[in-house]
Amino acid sequence: MSATKVRRLGTDSPPSRASKLLQNRWAGLAGLLVALLAPFVDATPYALSVMTSAAIAVMLAAGLNIVVGYCGLLDLGYVAFFAVGAYTSGVLATRLELPLLATVPAVIVVTVVAGIVIGAPTLRLRSDYLAIVTLGFGEIIRITANNLDVTGGPSGIYGIPHLVEGPVAFYYLTVVVVSLAVLGAARLGRSRLGRAWRFVREDEDAAEAMGVHTYRVKLAAYVAGAVWGGLAGVLFAAHLSAISPGSFTFLSSALVLMAVVLGGMGSTPGVVVGAVVISVLPEILRDLADYRFFLFGVLLIAFMLLRPQGLWPARSKEVP
Amino acid sequence: MRAIPLKSFASLAVLSLLVTGCGQGLLGGGDGAGQTAAGKDEPIVLGMLIPQSGSEAAIGPYMSNAAQLAIDEINAKGGVLGRTLELKTADDACDAQSAAAGANKLVTEGIDVSVGGYCSGATLPTLPIFGKAGIPMIIPAANSQELVDQKLKHVFLINGTGSQQAAAAEKWITKQGSKSVALMHDNTSYSKDIALRTQNLLEAPGGAEAAIIEAVTPKESDYSANITNVLAKKPDFVYWTGYFQEGGLIARQLRQAGYKGSIMVGDGSVSPKLVEIAGAEAAEGLYATMTQTPDTLEGAEGWIDAYKKKYGAEPGPYSNQAYDAVRLAAEAVTKAGGTDGTKVIAALEAIDGFPMFSGPLKFTPEHTLANGGFQILVVKSDKFALQDSLK
Repeated sequence: MSATKVRRLGTDSPPSRASKLLQNRWAGLAGLLVALLAPFVDATPYALSVMTSAAIAVMLAAGLNIVVGYCGLLDLGYVAFFAVGAYTSGVLATRLELPLLATVPAVIVVTVVAGIVIGAPTLRLRSDYLAIVTLGFGEIIRITANNLDVTGGPSGIYGIPHLVEGPVAFYYLTVVVVSLAVLGAARLGRSRLGRAWRFVREDEDAAEAMGVHTYRVKLAAYVAGAVWGGLAGVLFAAHLSAISPGSFTFLSSALVLMAVVLGGMGSTPGVVVGAVVISVLPEILRDLADYRFFLFGVLLIAFMLLRPQGLWPARSKEVP
Repeated sequence: MRAIPLKSFASLAVLSLLVTGCGQGLLGGGDGAGQTAAGKDEPIVLGMLIPQSGSEAAIGPYMSNAAQLAIDEINAKGGVLGRTLELKTADDACDAQSAAAGANKLVTEGIDVSVGGYCSGATLPTLPIFGKAGIPMIIPAANSQELVDQKLKHVFLINGTGSQQAAAAEKWITKQGSKSVALMHDNTSYSKDIALRTQNLLEAPGGAEAAIIEAVTPKESDYSANITNVLAKKPDFVYWTGYFQEGGLIARQLRQAGYKGSIMVGDGSVSPKLVEIAGAEAAEGLYATMTQTPDTLEGAEGWIDAYKKKYGAEPGPYSNQAYDAVRLAAEAVTKAGGTDGTKVIAALEAIDGFPMFSGPLKFTPEHTLANGGFQILVVKSDKFALQDSLK
């Protein structure tokens, strides 16, 4: 199968060296290798903390990529699922004194339910309306967390136990989980369901006419995205040990969306690179204090102007 | 096709292994905590997490400048144990994730004592990070109850706590003879805590009555809906416990809505910016519960002059607490005879009567101030001035 693809590629106009490198199927492995070897270069708590945050951002972006990139559903409140996952594991771990790992099944169940509850009514809407409703749900989740007693109200939950001892071990665990999640999302995108998602993204009416159950397919994308986000939330809770509604604002949703768009919608390596850029860039600019987010914004605009298709765009395999 | 990537993998792997020789990696020796056994000549490093970006960015320089002032003064006198002091700051952006990264950055840079912490929500996730690295924390500003509730040995608060501030507020409300009080907070942990504690204190029979607790959403520009709710209860005293941005707007919109009674704000709103936002007219006569500031201290004129001379600007909120945090850290390190975390913690616990702006210092078993030192300020011709020291 891959042989035919290579042959077909060869018949196209000769690709540039750079795009050849970008299309390399070993790029993912190289990225993983870099992530695995990074602590050998710099294992200070700061570097590990930043890299762990970046890995979590990658997982979020991979999850949102299913919803926005594959299925074309603009979700402006994605961080709601991140919050649901983080709070579910945080509440269970601190109130019932469960180990964090034991909360994972509950997190999956709760995020699936949340995905269905939020998705079922909203996915009947299209484009702009869907975006507005998801924006609203994002805020509802945050404000609910802010006002419930069980979530610790505005101060949130603190003293969440670690998943594993030590920042190095946790970093490696995160990298492994995130790699599996990214791989899983990519495989899903190439499955029968994934093709249905792309079909819906390109033309929903045509997809329906061809027998794709668009509503069910969209809900599947939404629920998959929710589970990815929820599991990222567990990692986030374990990483920070304290979570509060302030971490789940609209800005966080916008940043994850930005990672997906910046990297290249629907492209697995693209969203990985996008998420790393979005989470590491503010840290690199940390010393600029006041100008930090100003320059961050300028750089993002520059990225968008210079590479509107994304840093690492998806290559369409289906020639129209 | 395949040979090229494999070759580049191999070179990548070799390269990575070579770079590990540089010392900070996993194989580079040490646990990476960046804490080398400090020699005689190495400076004692104090770390300070403060908001330098985001909505509370105005506060950052007030605190870091004052801390630097204290450090320069101590160094001019020969430093601590013959070693100089050095300040390292990091931005917490008043956000949990930035704060955690910033705290890890400071730990990596090998700080000996932490003297930062302004936003309670951002300070909370940094507690275990500093704790694990064995770094004592003297928190100058953040004061929510959750910081105390964990009963962590390395955490010391030198700002008054929510319950002390609520007690001061209740005292002043009763002294004013108010009958009906509206409490407004912004749903952040610090603000809600003060509002609820004030409500509890007001429940005592005889005095004023808490007519309404109104939670507002921070960072909005129009609070007229909240203000209509509040004014429907016809209060003669409004107490806002949040930060200055919303506080200024609320004060202005209350006056615009025709409210004639007293307005009081909590310590997070005490900033020249509040008067700017509210406008001189609406701010005039506004009360505030606040710990001692340089403006209201007797005998602090020399300190204000020194600050002005160095930075060409007036000190602001929490300048004095940051200044005191540094002096306290220096005192504890001197008493401990070194920067060993456990010894410094023991020295801090043993401190009795150390002179600070808020009065002689002694820690309670919970590591909070035995005496909060809250007083009532009033805005007089665009400036916060002392109204009543509540003594």
